Amino acid sequence: MDFTETDEQRALRAAVAGLARKYGYAYYTAKTRDGERQTELWQEAGKLGFIGVNLPEQYGGGGAGMYELAIVLEELAAAGCGLLMLVVSPAICGTIIARFGTAAQQQDWLPRLASGSAIMAFGITEPDAGSNSHKLTTVAERDGDTWVLSGRKIYISGVDEADAVLIVGRTTDARTGKLRPALFAVPTDAAGFSYRPLDMDVAMPEKQFLLFLDQVRLPAGALIGEQDAALMQLFAGLNPERIMAAASAVGTARFALDRAVSYARERTVWSTPIGAHQGLAHPLAQVKIELELARLMMQKAATLYDGGDDLAAGEAANMAKYAAAEAAVRAVDQAMQTLGGSGVTAEYGLAGLLANVRVTRVAPVSREMILNYVAQHSLGLPRSY
Amino acid sequence: MNIVVLMKQVPDTWSERTLRAADNTLDRDAADAVMNELDEYAIEEGLRLTEAHGGEVTIVSMGPEKATESIRKALSMGADKAVHVSDEALHGSDALVTSAVLAKVLERAGFDLVILGSESTDARTGVLAAMLAERLGVPQLTFASKVDIDGSAIAIHRLADYGYDTVEGTLPAVVSVVEKINEPRYPSFKGIMAAKKKPVETLTVADLGIDPAQVGLAASATEVVEWAKRPPRAAGVVVTDDGDGGTKAAEFLASRKFI
Ligand SMILES: Cc1cc2nc3c(=O)[nH]c(=O)nc-3n(C[C@H](O)[C@H](O)[C@H](O)COP(=O)(O)OP(=O)(O)OC[C@H]3O[C@@H](n4cnc5c(N)ncnc54)[C@H](O)[C@@H]3O)c2cc1C
Repeated sequence: MDFTETDEQRALRAAVAGLARKYGYAYYTAKTRDGERQTELWQEAGKLGFIGVNLPEQYGGGGAGMYELAIVLEELAAAGCGLLMLVVSPAICGTIIARFGTAAQQQDWLPRLASGSAIMAFGITEPDAGSNSHKLTTVAERDGDTWVLSGRKIYISGVDEADAVLIVGRTTDARTGKLRPALFAVPTDAAGFSYRPLDMDVAMPEKQFLLFLDQVRLPAGALIGEQDAALMQLFAGLNPERIMAAASAVGTARFALDRAVSYARERTVWSTPIGAHQGLAHPLAQVKIELELARLMMQKAATLYDGGDDLAAGEAANMAKYAAAEAAVRAVDQAMQTLGGSGVTAEYGLAGLLANVRVTRVAPVSREMILNYVAQHSLGLPRSY
Repeated sequence: MNIVVLMKQVPDTWSERTLRAADNTLDRDAADAVMNELDEYAIEEGLRLTEAHGGEVTIVSMGPEKATESIRKALSMGADKAVHVSDEALHGSDALVTSAVLAKVLERAGFDLVILGSESTDARTGVLAAMLAERLGVPQLTFASKVDIDGSAIAIHRLADYGYDTVEGTLPAVVSVVEKINEPRYPSFKGIMAAKKKPVETLTVADLGIDPAQVGLAASATEVVEWAKRPPRAAGVVVTDDGDGGTKAAEFLASRKFI
């Protein structure tokens, strides 16, 4: 076991951190306020090969793994300018297409996803199927050479910036007549596909959308990979999703902790800097420990995943996502406490982060569903649902 | 065109820096080591010039083993190869000794153009370009905010308080650059991976045919005799506004050469 990152991983970390410093939280909040996206940052990161680090070299990617992509997102988030679509476009969609797509799909999508010139959103959640994805009602019917998709999706991030959405729908199994999941790349300009923004109460540049699929007709090639293996394909994409959610939360926790620590060093209320009081120092030390533990589990998950052990990676990725969300929520909360009134000002921007980090306890998978997973799979306990 | 860029690893400007009590030399363990910021601009200029005119960029760095990290960064930005002069005997060398060693490396490697940052953030002597040009017998074009090359002719904008002077010379030459000259690129992931395979030649003082007794602290012509920590920040000046606050504020700014 090796806890030292390679020279290349450290160089990547430093290079991304350098780029992120140029943009930072001021850029992130300005874009959010103006209802814009972090387009310049996305494009520059794409040009430097940071967005597609995990995708195959033959399609213009970096040929590295989830470990490296997690470095990219962690460092961006640590500077206050995380890119949510990294979780979706290269991590979930890119991974699924690279591992299971047909040669034509790979040729079509991977170079664009790797360079960042195209973005693919990911849509699984439905109004009546969030945690319970067995209740998905988006259905694809085969009609000659085409697929016809109908259904609704909710909370889908970044559809306005995406060229397509990887939609998780269901098809009817020819033999059993049962519905089974299937994945379709649906172009955002397809006839019958429409979307509208949800009025979310979080301060992030990426918006969430309600999608309507009304008899969307797609060519046969829109079905990603194998119709029969969709569940396995889906799981292959969900581990990267969780690793990336953890990376984002870990980065945000670092960001909040950095702000708190530099403030606690300088701010003097009586005669010593407030960071000398154990009442403030110890909770910050706890945040540091919890964030490092979460980070370690995230790195374990990424290492297992890159090593090809999907099953072991699944448990670690879930645990990392859980721990990172807890660490991030606590970090922002304690940072606000440390800053007193300043913690509520726009200048320090911590109050605005509170809702953002709180989301990591719910999406992409809720804390309760992770606890269910660990209770059932790791502990072998019976289930209530 | 054969361009050599000189690069130095320095303690991070943003961290607390100090000297070693034992011999008044820089305490390299006290702070994170980073590439001297101005050298990033020098590398960027070298890369731009070879992109426009063809040729190769060679990084030359003198420093402890740890400097390999910064050399790697230079290579990941796109430089083609590097020479690392690393020798215990060099510890404590002043600018005169450093310029003698670097001149040897440059003579050995050959060059059309040497580019360096106009100063390093640690010692800040800013004399290396002049010393090197003198030792190598080539023109020096310093404080460049713009470099143009046309065949063997070189012209720069030399930054001045009032704008710039145009300085011309012929290659081979030594050019020192200022921050204004460009915006250094970030290493790309491909650049980072490619850096791994680029050649880095490590040389000792003996490899350069220099007697180790001629370098280092003892052989240096200058010496740090004494040093003190930066005094804590003094209290600000309070200007009472008796109706002439504006004038007083302007006078203060003028006294600090801000206006
Ligand atoms: C900002 C944001 C961005 C998002 N982006 C995307 C996206 O890009 N693509 C996408 O597909 N989805 C996206 N989502 C949706 C997200 O994945 C879902 O919100 C999440 O999976 C929870 O589903 P739900 O909202 O339907 O909650 P529900 O499933 O209704 O759950 C409500 C609560 O009940 C709990 N609960 C439910 N069942 C159980 C049980 N068996 N045991 C214990 N507790 C239970 C849950 O943990 C939760 O606390 C996003 C959500 C947000 C907030």
